[in-house]
Amino acid sequence: MDAVVKKIIMEVKKGDQQAFAELVDLYKDKVYQISYRMLGNVHEAQDISQEAFLRAYTNIDSFDMNRKFSTWLFRIATNLSIDRIRKKKPDFHLDDPVGGTEDFNYYSQIAADEELPEDKVVQYEMQGWIQSEITALPPKYRSAIILKYLEDLSLKEISEILNLPVATVKTRIHRGREALRKRLRNS
Amino acid sequence: MACEKTKIEDLHKYLDEEMTLLEKKQLEQHLMKCGDCDKHLRELRKTIAIVQSSSHIEAPGDFTANVMKKLPEQKKSRKYKT
Repeated sequence: MDAVVKKIIMEVKKGDQQAFAELVDLYKDKVYQISYRMLGNVHEAQDISQEAFLRAYTNIDSFDMNRKFSTWLFRIATNLSIDRIRKKKPDFHLDDPVGGTEDFNYYSQIAADEELPEDKVVQYEMQGWIQSEITALPPKYRSAIILKYLEDLSLKEISEILNLPVATVKTRIHRGREALRKRLRNS
Repeated sequence: MACEKTKIEDLHKYLDEEMTLLEKKQLEQHLMKCGDCDKHLRELRKTIAIVQSSSHIEAPGDFTANVMKKLPEQKKSRKYKT
């Protein structure tokens, strides 16, 4: 593991709370991105990604220094996201209406009187559309696709984060790609 | 749609570069004469490109401060050691 990260974790383990801020700064964007892509909603993404860091802090003593910290942290964030999805929608199916899109807040964050250049409007719409397609995937395929294509992680890392054999991760990526292909092919 | 079910798995293996040279060659030959599989592969490539075109998202500016505010009180144990 990265020597700098290791040093910071040692300090946190010794009780230096301020050192934890450095860890948050290092990983906040990635953790936020995982939560946002899983949930498709900025409020829930903030909630879950903050919770992930709080859990990491309170459980730091159980973190094994020989492991990669990001893998451990992403696992916490992914599990919390999946729990949240389960609570929202106990029976989630691919054919269900797209979840989370009503709350999709990209547009509402732009002040109404703010003029956006045409290409930027197109970009926002495109991003919103991609996210709604990702959110329409069943959570088990969604997490594999996000970790592979948005976080650029290796199959081995994804298998550690999701606590699944590499072969299962591969299958989930294949199925996720197939499901997305069916939805996107006419675009 | 790929021409048969086993071929879909082949297309994914091909995409992930998990084929032997021979398997790869055989599939490429098949793709030349099978329009369905060729189309399926192109759709999969397009799907990946679309997903990868999602922009990277950053955490809100006050994120770290908010997390730090919520941390439980600092451990007191150090006090007694000194």
